[in-house]
Amino acid sequence: MGERDLAADLARFLEARLGDASRVRVQNLERNTEGFSQETFSFNAEIRRGRFREVRDYVVKREPKAGLLEPYDLEPEFRVLHALSDDPLPSPPTPWFEDDPAVLERPFYVMEKLPGEVPIPAGGPDGTGPFSQGERQSLGPQVARSLAQLHAIDWRKLGLEFLGVPASGRGAAQRELARWESRIERVELPVPPILAEALLWLRHHVPSTDEITLVQGDYRLGNLLVDCQGDRADLLGILDWEMVHLGDPLEDLAWCSSELWRGGTPWAGAMLPPEEFAAVYAAASGRTVDAERMTFYGLLTVVKMIAIMRTGLRAFGEGRTRDLRMAIFDHQLPFLYALLAVVRGWLGNP
Amino acid sequence: MLIPPEKLVDGCLETLREEVLPYLEKRSARGQLYAVLDVLQNLRDRIEEKTAPLENEADSARMALEQIAAVLRDGGDAVAADAVAAEVASAAGESSADRAAALGRTLVSAIESLYALPSGMPEAAQRALAAHLGPQAIRDVAPLKPSLLNEISKG
Repeated sequence: MGERDLAADLARFLEARLGDASRVRVQNLERNTEGFSQETFSFNAEIRRGRFREVRDYVVKREPKAGLLEPYDLEPEFRVLHALSDDPLPSPPTPWFEDDPAVLERPFYVMEKLPGEVPIPAGGPDGTGPFSQGERQSLGPQVARSLAQLHAIDWRKLGLEFLGVPASGRGAAQRELARWESRIERVELPVPPILAEALLWLRHHVPSTDEITLVQGDYRLGNLLVDCQGDRADLLGILDWEMVHLGDPLEDLAWCSSELWRGGTPWAGAMLPPEEFAAVYAAASGRTVDAERMTFYGLLTVVKMIAIMRTGLRAFGEGRTRDLRMAIFDHQLPFLYALLAVVRGWLGNP
Repeated sequence: MLIPPEKLVDGCLETLREEVLPYLEKRSARGQLYAVLDVLQNLRDRIEEKTAPLENEADSARMALEQIAAVLRDGGDAVAADAVAAEVASAAGESSADRAAALGRTLVSAIESLYALPSGMPEAAQRALAAHLGPQAIRDVAPLKPSLLNEISKG
C-alpha cells in the first residue's frame, strides 16, 4: 500500500469515525523514522463540516508485518491510552482503534499529535549529551515526577485489570522475567553464555513487592516529547506504550535510569545523576527506591533489550521483514553483551 | 554474529533497490548506486568469517571450562564435571566455528550446573567466568565501528 492509498484510506476511516464531517482530506502523510517497532505515520487532516473547515494533526500507529515485539497486539496499548485520554498525564489522547484488515491491511490506532520533539539521546562530542545544562536540570525533575504521577494512576478505577494483575510478593518480577525469557526462547537463536548466566542470576534473585502500579514499560528519553528552549526544557508528552502492563513501579525507574539511554553522559536519561533522579522520583511518589529491586530490574532492562533485538534479528533472518534496521542488531548485540558484562561485574566500565 | 554475511548483503541489495533507488532523481547518483549494487552482489559470495577471533573465543572458553569442571568436582557434582570434560575433549578436533559454538553450549550447561550447586556459585567459578566472559565481551565489541543508530533514528 503506497502513501497515496494510505492517505485515501485514512481519510475514509476518519470520515466514518468523525460522523459529522462531510469530507476529510489527509495531507502531509509521512512515515516517522524514530520508532523501530510499530509503523508510525503522522499527518494533517483537513476536516470540512459544511462551510466550516479545521485542520487537526494525528498520528497513526500500525502493526508491522514483523518486528521487535512480535507477536503484536495493539489493542491493550490502545485501551490504556484511550482510558488515559482525559488524565492530566501528558499521554496523547487516543480516540480510535481498528482491527479490520480491510481498512489499513493491519490493526492500527489513531492518536492526536502532541507538540514537542522527541530528543535523540545522542552523545555530543564533549560528552554532554543532547541537552544544555539548563535544559537537563529543568527536564530531569519533570520526567521523574511524571513517572511518579504515572505510577499513581488508579488503574482499577480506569478498568485496566485486563492487563493482568500479578500476584503480590514475587509475582510481578516473576511474570516479567518469564515474559522475556519466553521471548528469548521463542526466537530460537543460540543463547550465549553471558546471557544464559544473566537469566540464571535473575531467576535466583527475584525480588518481592506488594506495590502494583501501571508500568509504562518503555519510559525513556526517546519516547518523550520535549520542548527545548536553550535555558530550560519542558516535558510535553509520553509516547510508545506498547510494553505497558501492571507490575512493580521500580521496573520503569530502572529502565529509565539504565546506561542504555544515557547518551554518552553519566546521567540517567542524559539529564540527572541517577541517584538524584531516583531521589526526585522517591520524593514525588513517596516510595522507597529499594536497591534489591533496582538491581534486578536494572539487569532485566538489558536482558529485555537483548530479547527485543534478537526478535528483530530473527524476523530479518527469516525474511519476514525487509527492514534493514532489524539487521543492524547483529552488530549492536555485542554492545549489549558488553553492558551485561559490566552490570554483572564481569568487566569494569570500559 | 547471528546472521550470515551473505544474508546481510542480500538485505542491503534489496533495500537499496526497493527503498532507495526509486527515490533517487539524479542520473549520476543512480549510476553510482547501480555500481554499489554491482559491487555488493559480487562481494556476497566472497565473504568469509575470520577464524582467528573464533579460535580465541574457543581457547578462552576451554580454559574457563577446565577450571569450572574442577570447581564442579570439588562442589560434589562429579557427573556435571565429567560431562564438561567430555564435551571439551570432543570439541577439540572441530573447526574454529564449530568448536567455539560447541564450547559456548557447554559453558551454558556448566553455568546451569554451577547455579545448581547447594553451596551456590563458588568464588573460583566466578573468577573463571570473569576471566572468560568479560574479555570475550570486549573481543566481540573491539572490531565494531561506532554506531550510526542515532542517524538511523533521525533519518
